[in-house]
This record gives sequence, structure tokens and C-alpha cells, in this order.
Amino acid sequence: MSTAKPSTSKEYRIEAPDGLDLGKHQFVELYHYIALNRRLEERLSILYRQNKIVGGLYSSLGQEATSVGSAYALADGDFLAPMIRNLGSYLVRGVSAKDFVAQYLARECSPTRGKDGTQHFGDLSKGLIACISMLGALVPVMAGVAMAMKHRGQKNVALTYCGDGATSTTDFHEGLNFAAVHRVPFILVAEHNQYAYATPVSMQFTIENIADKAPAYGVHGEIVDGNNVLAVYDATRRARQMCIEGKGPVLLEAKTFRRKGHAEHDPADYVPKKLRAQWEAKDPLDAYSRFLLDQGVATRSEMDDVDAKITRELELAVQEVLDSPFPDKSIADRDVYFSARTDGGSHA
Amino acid sequence: MLERKTVSQTKTKRSKISKETKRQLLHYMTLSRRIEHRIERVLYRQGKIVGGVYVGRGQEAISVATAIHMLDNDIVAPTHRDMGIFLICGVSERRIIAQYMGRKTGVTQGKDGNMHMGDLKHNIIAFVSHLGDNVPVAAGAALTFKMRGQDNVAFCYSGEGATSRGDWHEGVNFACVHKLPIVFFINNNQYAYSTPIELQMPVKDVADRAPAYAMAAEVVDGNDALAVYESAGRAVDWARSGKGPYLVEYKTFRMTGHSAHDDAGYVPKELFEEWARKDPIERLQKHMIDAGELTAEGIESMENEITAIIDDAVDWADKSPYPDPEDCLKGVYHEGR
Repeated sequence: MSTAKPSTSKEYRIEAPDGLDLGKHQFVELYHYIALNRRLEERLSILYRQNKIVGGLYSSLGQEATSVGSAYALADGDFLAPMIRNLGSYLVRGVSAKDFVAQYLARECSPTRGKDGTQHFGDLSKGLIACISMLGALVPVMAGVAMAMKHRGQKNVALTYCGDGATSTTDFHEGLNFAAVHRVPFILVAEHNQYAYATPVSMQFTIENIADKAPAYGVHGEIVDGNNVLAVYDATRRARQMCIEGKGPVLLEAKTFRRKGHAEHDPADYVPKKLRAQWEAKDPLDAYSRFLLDQGVATRSEMDDVDAKITRELELAVQEVLDSPFPDKSIADRDVYFSARTDGGSHA
Repeated sequence: MLERKTVSQTKTKRSKISKETKRQLLHYMTLSRRIEHRIERVLYRQGKIVGGVYVGRGQEAISVATAIHMLDNDIVAPTHRDMGIFLICGVSERRIIAQYMGRKTGVTQGKDGNMHMGDLKHNIIAFVSHLGDNVPVAAGAALTFKMRGQDNVAFCYSGEGATSRGDWHEGVNFACVHKLPIVFFINNNQYAYSTPIELQMPVKDVADRAPAYAMAAEVVDGNDALAVYESAGRAVDWARSGKGPYLVEYKTFRMTGHSAHDDAGYVPKELFEEWARKDPIERLQKHMIDAGELTAEGIESMENEITAIIDDAVDWADKSPYPDPEDCLKGVYHEGR
């Protein structure tokens, strides 16, 4: 299914950072997550056009490497709060394709039991804090999670994402400032995808790089190619190490591009065609496929096997969800407000 | 009241500050100090003040030597430690004392107390209690100047604590994106209520935050009135000439508690002693005496003149009535003109 072609010198190519600590299994696993992220979103797009999705649909097309690479660098006990363009991060933390399909189709078997749509869900058992619609709002939340880790003496980190637009919000500023004052183990991955809905970055801030904001908070800032999954993984892994050593927080800027509109209903006519074409040529899945082939890490047939497995998984997931019921009205107010539990039950 | 020049009358020679300007600076700084002293140490203790009292003791140079650069139709958004701004903008001492005493003749006609006042006739946007909230408001005023093609500047004040607030961030970012004619004067007095600066922000200087917005900035001794005057002149010229926002950080110290009820027991005594030696009024007096621009008699007559002004204001305010109940809703909501 991959569209990788024989390499030419003009093609966008990615390289493995020095000292990368990944083995063959992990290289292939990364491919699996990026490809699953891509194919699942393509499938959801079809379901949207069939009017089967309840609510909006947000795509991370072109940004999959940032979600997958950053989440892959985390360890057990770490907490991650994804945003609407981080489907790949959920997958890495163990959320299944079926969960996503059920969530978008608002079925009772979904993570929120049909109470919310899109990616507005979390799972504390998987270290996932639910996405908050208000962009930037996760920054203080995760600064707080990181503070808890520091107080408890845990060797863990909290990670969340924000877009270029969210850096102009109150929450970004207050959350990052707070995290920096208290030196908590917090990684903020700023996905610089160049559009905040329809607002280009030139109307959003006056600097070239989001990482240029890091000195204003006295934190380490770094720029990484967001379309190179290996670079994102490596930078996040190093950021994690810094946080564990008490040198956090870290502001990691992933340069990338939002290839679709803000959501499925937005044709994004405000984005120049040429700009979009430039970034299509830097497709993270194609680039990673080429890397695996060129470096002899994986063969074409191994990748085909992964692709075939994904196709089967998605077909099964969609069928099962379509056959499953919508929530019963009797559970409408269940799990909406907190109720003290004595049964040790957990939130799904 | 200070005669305010219009935009076309300005000159930008800062290298030599005239004796007359220095005298004005000293007058307004001393007036600020004395009027706040009367309010905080006398009237407040006599139970004549309605509500709290917040003073700018030791920080007078910042309010006075910046706002003195205001031209006709410029606008200012002060904080609660900027008495000097109200005086320079021409709000009368009588109305100010009446404001603190909750009288009908006060700036808010007895509806609000202390520094919670503004007067658009004097180009002052009313102070917002929530520190940092005045930043987006002032940025909005600057946007108006730009859209109307006016050569005016918005003077915006905040403390170092307010720079950790979202309003500050959003307001500054907006002003920078739209390259607005605004100057951010940061009064870094080292305590945000009881929070010392190191628990407030992870950088040494507030000015270190400016590069995050690609904004021009400098750090200045806020207790040196002449340095404040010169830097404010540079900053205001920059903004007025269309180069966008400018941030000036003034290092100073809050020589008092957060308010009259706060004894600031959390501030090390040595800090008060150290900063008492850097008193901005004494420094300006000494400079002027050394330069032969002021004598001991001159200081005394200025003090006498100011005492008379304040005596008159207190007397007038004390005789003013409290507001009538039926005026309660007047001036609260917008009334069509």
C-alpha cells in the first residue's frame, strides 16, 4: 500500500540521528503505527462522507510522525495528553483502531460510551489524559500532572502537544511558566503545522520558531523535523532524560504541516497550493518507508505484511462497530459527574 | 496641571534634560510620595479611608518620569502603584483624596475606592484590579490609534507578577503581531504580593521575555529618575514612529507591604535597608543640588507648596458629601449620549 518509489537525489530523505537506540522490531513497529494512523484516518474520512460519523473529524495527515515518534519515546508510568491531531499517540499508548471507530460513530462500546465524539477521550489506565477542545488548555493540566510526579519522586514525565496557534493563548503561557518555575518533568511538543484553523503563523506570532520562546521561560528549547519519526523519537527521548534529571521542562518544536483543513468540513482554500505541494513531497510515511528500504532495515514484503494486517484489522473494526448499538438513553448521565466509588472501579 | 504638548511640538533631544524638566519630575515625585503618605499613614489610620490603600512608595520615578512623555490624546493604563500618573495627567489632588474617602466628589463619585479609578477626559483607562488585565485593553486602544492613523501611543503599566498572567501574554503577543504603538512599562518591584520573583518567573529579567515576541526591550534602574526619563523617551519615540511595541523593565523595590494592611513580614529587612539607600527622590535632589539646579531652600519651598496643596485637598474632600443612594446606579452602565 505504500507509495514509496525508488529514491532520487531530490527526494525528501530522512536520516537516523546518531546514537539511535532502536532495534529491528522497533523500526517495524514504528512503521506499523504511522501506517495505521494514516489508514485509520483515511477510513474515518470515508465513514464521514457516508454520514456515519457523529460530529467532526480532525485529521493528522502529514503529522503522523510527530505523534508516533513522541509517544514512542515515553515509558510506563509516563502520562500523555493528546490533542485532536495525535491519533498516532493514542495508538502507541494502546488504544485500538476499533476504539476510535466506535468513538467517532458514537457507539456504546466506545471509550466514552457514545457520550462524546472525535478524540475527546482519555484512559487513565493507559496514561492518557483526555483531550481538551480549548487548544492550549492541556498545558497547565499536564504541568500539574508533572508536578505530582515531582512531589512523589517518580521518575516519570508528562507530555502534551500544542499547535502554533495555542502558543498565543493564556494557558500556554501560564502553564509553561508555572512548569518552568517549579522545574517539573514536563515535555511540551509544539506542532508547528503553520495554520491555526485559517490563521497563518505570520498573523499568530512575530518570531520564526516556537522554540525561540523557550528562553522567555528559561527552559530548554529544540527544533526537530516533525516529519522524521526517528528524529522526533530521539529528541523526545533526550527531553525525557533531561526531565528525569531535573532539567525540565523542555519545549520541543516539531516543524510540520497540516495537509488537510482544520477539520473534514474545511477545504482550506486559504492555504496556497504550492505550499501544500511542498509538504506533500515530505510525506512522513513515504519518507520512513524509503528509509527502511534504503537502509535495509525492512524489506518491501515485510512492510506489505504490516499493511495487509492493518487492512484486515480496520475492516474488522468497522464491521464490528457498525453492527454494535448506540448507547441506551438510560446511561445518559452515567460517568458524567464524579461519584465516589467504593468498588475500585476505573474510568474507561 | 502639566501643560501637555501636541504630537507636532515634540522634540527628541534627550541628551540634556532641562532644569525645568528635572524640577517637574521632582515636584510630581514628591507630590506622589506626600499625598500617598497622607492617605496611608494619616487618613487611613484615622479611619477616614473607605477600603484599602496601595502605594507606590520608592517607585515614584517610574510613574512620573514615564508618563511625563505623554502627548495630547495618548492614552495610559496605570496600575495601583502609579499615583504619579494621575497627577501628571491632571486629575486634581482634591478629587483623588475624595476618591479615597468615598465621597461624591471623588473620581468615581464614591462608587469605588482608592486607585480603582480612571478618567477618559484625562486619557486614563480605569485600573483593572486583576493585574495584567489592562494589557489587552491598552493594546486595543493602540489598535485604534493605528487604524485611525493617529500618531499616538498607549502607555501600559504592569508589575513583574502580572507578566506571568495569560492576559499579559495575549495582550503583548497581539500588540506585537499587529505592530501597535504601545509601550509596556514593567515595574519590577520584586514582590507580587508575597511572592518573590524567583517563584514568579524562571528568568532573571522580565526583559528576557521580550525576545519571545521579537519585541524591543531594555532594563533600566527604576530608581534613577533621569534614566527612567531617557529610556521612556526612547521607548515612546520608537512606538510613535511606527516601529511597534517596546518594553522597558524598571528595577525597583516595593518599600511597603502589598497594601496598608500588609506588614510585609515576609520581606527580609536587609532588602528594605538596601533600597532605602536608593531612594529615587533623594537621588534626584542630590543630583540637582550637585548640578547647582536646586538648593536646600528650594526643596523646602517645594515641600511647603505640596503640603499646602494636600492640606487644601484633604480639607475640601472632608467637607464633600457622601454619595446619595439615588445616584447608586448612575455611571455604572453605559447611558446613551
